[in-house]
Amino acid sequence: MSNVTTTPEIVTIDNLRTITRTRSLGYGISLIVLGAIEVLWFGSTPSSIHTQIQLAYNSATSVPELSSWLRVLVLVLGVLVLPLAFGPSVFSPLPRLPRAARIVAAIVGVLFVAWPISLWLGINQDGQIRDFLVSVSVTGYLFGAISAVVGAIVVWRRFDRLASPLLYAGIVLFILAFLIWVARITPIDNLPLPLTGILWGAIQWSPFLALGALAGTMSERSGVVNIAIEGQFIAGALVSTLVASAMNGTGISLWLALLLAGSIGMVFSWVLALMANRYRANQIIVGILLVSFATAVSQFISDAVLDVHQNLNQTLTLPTWNVPVLSRIPVVGPVLFAQNIIVYITIGMAVFTNVLLFRTRWGLRTRSVGEKPIASETVGINVFRMRYAATILGGFLAGLGGAALTLGKDTQFAFGMSNNFGYVALAIMIFGRWRPYGALVASLLFGFTASLGAQVSIWSGQTHIPGAFIDALPYAVTILVVSGLVGRIRPPAADGLPFVRR
Amino acid sequence: MKLELRGITKSFGSLVANKDISLVVEPGQIHCLLGENGAGKSTLMNVLYGLLTPDSGQILIDDKPITIRDPKDAVAHGIGMVHQHFMLIPVFNVLENIILGSEDVRPWPFIDREAARTRIEQIANEYNFQIDPDAIIENLPIGTQQRVEILKALSHNAKILILDEPTAVLTPQETDALIEILKTLKEQGTSIIFITHKLREVLAIADVITVIRLGEVVGSTTPDEVNEEELASMMVGREVDLVVDKTPATPGDVVLSVSDLYVEDDRGLTAVKGVSFDVRRGEILAIAGVQGNGQTELVEALTGMRPVVSGKVSLNGDNLAGRSVRHILDAGVAHVPEDRQVHGLIPGMSIADNLVLDQIHSPKFGGIFGRKIKAIRENAEVRRKEFDIRSPGIDTAVGELSGGNQQKVVMARELSRELKVLICAQPTRGLDVGSIEFMHKQIVANRDAGAAVIIVSSELDEVIALGDRVAVLYDGRVQDIVPPTTSREEFGLLMAGARSTEATGVTP
Repeated sequence: MSNVTTTPEIVTIDNLRTITRTRSLGYGISLIVLGAIEVLWFGSTPSSIHTQIQLAYNSATSVPELSSWLRVLVLVLGVLVLPLAFGPSVFSPLPRLPRAARIVAAIVGVLFVAWPISLWLGINQDGQIRDFLVSVSVTGYLFGAISAVVGAIVVWRRFDRLASPLLYAGIVLFILAFLIWVARITPIDNLPLPLTGILWGAIQWSPFLALGALAGTMSERSGVVNIAIEGQFIAGALVSTLVASAMNGTGISLWLALLLAGSIGMVFSWVLALMANRYRANQIIVGILLVSFATAVSQFISDAVLDVHQNLNQTLTLPTWNVPVLSRIPVVGPVLFAQNIIVYITIGMAVFTNVLLFRTRWGLRTRSVGEKPIASETVGINVFRMRYAATILGGFLAGLGGAALTLGKDTQFAFGMSNNFGYVALAIMIFGRWRPYGALVASLLFGFTASLGAQVSIWSGQTHIPGAFIDALPYAVTILVVSGLVGRIRPPAADGLPFVRR
Repeated sequence: MKLELRGITKSFGSLVANKDISLVVEPGQIHCLLGENGAGKSTLMNVLYGLLTPDSGQILIDDKPITIRDPKDAVAHGIGMVHQHFMLIPVFNVLENIILGSEDVRPWPFIDREAARTRIEQIANEYNFQIDPDAIIENLPIGTQQRVEILKALSHNAKILILDEPTAVLTPQETDALIEILKTLKEQGTSIIFITHKLREVLAIADVITVIRLGEVVGSTTPDEVNEEELASMMVGREVDLVVDKTPATPGDVVLSVSDLYVEDDRGLTAVKGVSFDVRRGEILAIAGVQGNGQTELVEALTGMRPVVSGKVSLNGDNLAGRSVRHILDAGVAHVPEDRQVHGLIPGMSIADNLVLDQIHSPKFGGIFGRKIKAIRENAEVRRKEFDIRSPGIDTAVGELSGGNQQKVVMARELSRELKVLICAQPTRGLDVGSIEFMHKQIVANRDAGAAVIIVSSELDEVIALGDRVAVLYDGRVQDIVPPTTSREEFGLLMAGARSTEATGVTP
C-alpha cells in the first residue's frame, strides 16, 4: 500500500485549465478582431478629417493655474509620492504601506504628475478646458494597433486572469474610436464630441439601474426571483413625484418622497414574497402581473390625476453635491464628484448591501437559503423568514430606484418613463454576478449606452446613424449578457425555487 | 446520553412508514439500524431530528420525555445528524458551513470568523481531523465533505450522532477511515445511530443491531450472535441467496469498442478523459468507481444522450459516436439509465405505453393516425408476465409502482428490441433484495444469450458479483481493467486514484 500514491482532489488542475485556456484564447482573438475592425474601418478615413473633442463640462472645470516654480514643485512631489503606491515590490528600500494609504498615494501621485504636465500642454483656454482636435484615421490606427497587439499577447501568453478586464478595456476603446468616427468634422457639419458630458451622463443614468440590480441581488440571493422591478420603478417614480409635488419640493419633502418611494417598493415585494413563500406560485408570472398592475395604475393616475392637477407633477430634483476640491479635477471631477445626491446614496447602498450579504450573520443565512434551503432548515434557520426579509429589503431599493428616475434625473413623471429598464436591471444583476459591487460597475456599462443614446438624439439628423439604433443598444447589450456570452456565471442554486417543508 | 424512542408511529396518507417503533440507545454505543430501502429507517430518524412530526409516540433523553418540534430543538438536545445527502452549502467554505445557524457575532451583526476558526481547529484537533477551514465544499472529496458534516454536528455539542447511509458514497478506504472516526467518537462517549442496508459494515462496527422491515422492528441482536445470511433474512423476511449464480463467461468477438473517448459534463468540464475499452459477446464488463468520476457522462455519451467531444465508439465496426439516440437504440443498444424516474420512464403514463416508448415510431406500434392500441396492450400483457411486473393492471401509471417494479418495466422495454449491447447504469439502486436478485438474473441471462453487457455501479459488491472484468473509473479515466477476484483493498486504491500495476499485480 505504501508504494501507491493517491490523489484526493476531485476538481483537478486539468479541469480548471480547460476553462481558462479557452477563455484567454477566445478573448484574445476577439481583441485582435476588434483591432482589425478599428484599423480597417476608422483607419480608412482620409487623414485630413478630424474630430473636435470637448473635455470641458461647465465653467468650473478649468484646471487650477500654478506659477512655473509651483508646477515644478508639484511635479517633483508627485514623482516622489507615486512609488509609495507600489511599495517594496518596485524599489526595495520603500516601506510597505497599508492598502488604503497606497491607494491615496496612487491617486495623489498621478494627480500631481498630470496637473503640471497638462498645464504645460496648455489645457486651459478662456477659463475652460480647451477643445482639441484628433485625427480620425490616426485614432483608428492607434487604437487598432493597441488592441491587436494586446490580443496577440493574450493569445500567446494565455493571460487567464487578465483576459476579461483586457477585453472590456478593448471594447471601451472600440466604442471611443467609434464615437470619434461618428462625430468627425465633415464639410457639412461639425459635431463636437462632449466626452466629459457623455461620461457624466453615464453616471447620471446609472443609479436607478444599479438600485434595481441591487434589489434583484438581494432577493435572488435569498432564492426569490424578483422580475417585478420594472413595476417597482414605476410605482416608486410615481409616488416620489406625487409626494414631493404635493409639498412643492420644500424642506424635507424630497427625503420623505424617497422614503415613501422605497416603501411602495416594499409593498410590491411583500406581495411577491407572500406568493412565492406561502402560495408557492410561479415567481415569474407573479412578477409580470405586478408589473402589469403597476403600469395600469400609473396610467390611470397619470390620466385622471396628473393631467388634471398639473401641480401634482412638478419637475423636482434632489440637490447636486459638488464635492469640494475633488470636483475640480478635469474630466474625472465633474463626472464622479459633481453629481446628484442619489448617486452617492446609490454607492452607499451598494456598500451597505455588500456588507450585509457578505459580512453579517444575516447575510450568511440569507445566502444559504438561496443556495440550499433544506440545509439551512436542518441547522434551525427559518427559510421563509429570511426570504421575506431579503425580498422586502430589496423592494425598498427598487422603489428608491424609481425615485432616482424622477428626482434623481430632474424630470417629472411620465407614463412609460421606465421604458423596461427594470428588466435591464436584472441583466445588470446577472452581469454583476449577483454581487453588489458587480451590479454597481455593470450599471455603468448600461448607463454609458443609455447616455450615448441621449447624446445621439441631440445630434439627431446630423449623423449617419439613426437614433433608434443607439436607443436599442442597452437592450442589445442585455441580450448579449443574459445569453451568457460574457463568461460563466452561476446563479444562486435555489433561485426561483419555492421551498417546501417536508 | 441515553436516548429512547417509545412507540413511534408515522404515516403518510395510507402508507404507514413507522409502526410502533421502540428502541434504546445507551451512552457510548454504536447502534445500527438495518433495513431495506423504504423500510422506514430514514423516516424514523427524520422524526427524531424534528424534520417530521410523529403521529404518536415519545422520545426520551436520559429517561426524561422531550418534544422535538424542529431541527433546532433536536440540536439543543444534543442530537446531531449526518444526512445521506449532505446538508452542506456547496459554494460556502468549511468554516461557513460549520458555523451556519449558530454564528457568533462580535460586534453585532458581524460574524466573528476568527473565534469560529479557533473553535473549529480546536474540535478538529480533539478528534484528529485534518480539515482546511477555508476550502470550498464543492471542491472537496465526498469523504472529506462527510467529515465536515460530522464536525458540524460535533461543534453543536452533539452527544448522539445519527448517520444516514453514510457509506453509500464512499470508497472502501474512506469507509475504513469513517469507521475509525466513529470508534474514536464512541470512546469519547458519543452515542451513534448508524443507518445502513449493508450487512458487512453492520457486523464490523455495531454494538447493537436493530432490524426494521416494512416500518416495524423485527428484532434486535448483536454482531456476535448473527452472520450475514441471518441478518439478510431478518431484513427481507425470507431466505435470500446473497451470491449471484453465474457460470464463467465465454467471451466471443469484440462487439463494442470505445477508444480515446472525451466527454464534457453539464458545466463544460471534461468529465471523461480518453476512455478506451472493448466489450465482447457474452461477457459483462463492470465499470466501478465512486460516484461522480465520469460514469454518468460516459454512459450518456455511449447512448447518444450527450455529445462526444472526441473519440470513437464502434459497434461491430459502425461508428456510433455523435449519432442520435434513436440511431443508437435501433443499432441494437439497450440502455437502462441511471435515474429511471428521469430518463427511464414517464411516471404519469401507463405501463403499456412506457413499454413501447422506444418503438412507437415503428409500424408495429404506431401509425400515421396514432398508436396501435391493441398491439401495445398485447405487448404489455406479455411483458408483464415475462418480467413479473406486479401491478393492478397494464393501465396503472408507472409512477405508482414500487422502485423494483419500475425498474422491471425499464428492463422489459429495453430487452424487447434486437439486442447486441446492454448498458445498465446503477441497475439496482434503491431496489429491495428481491428485485436485486431478479435484475441480476436478467443481466446474467442476457450475457449467456450472447449480448455484450456493460454494468455501471458504485456498489463494489455488485461489481464483484456481476463483472467478468472490472474497469475502475477515476477522475474520468480508466485506472485499470482487472478481474473481479481482485481484493477489495486493491479495488479501493484504484477507486481512490492509485495508478499502479504493482497494486493489483495484473496488467490490463
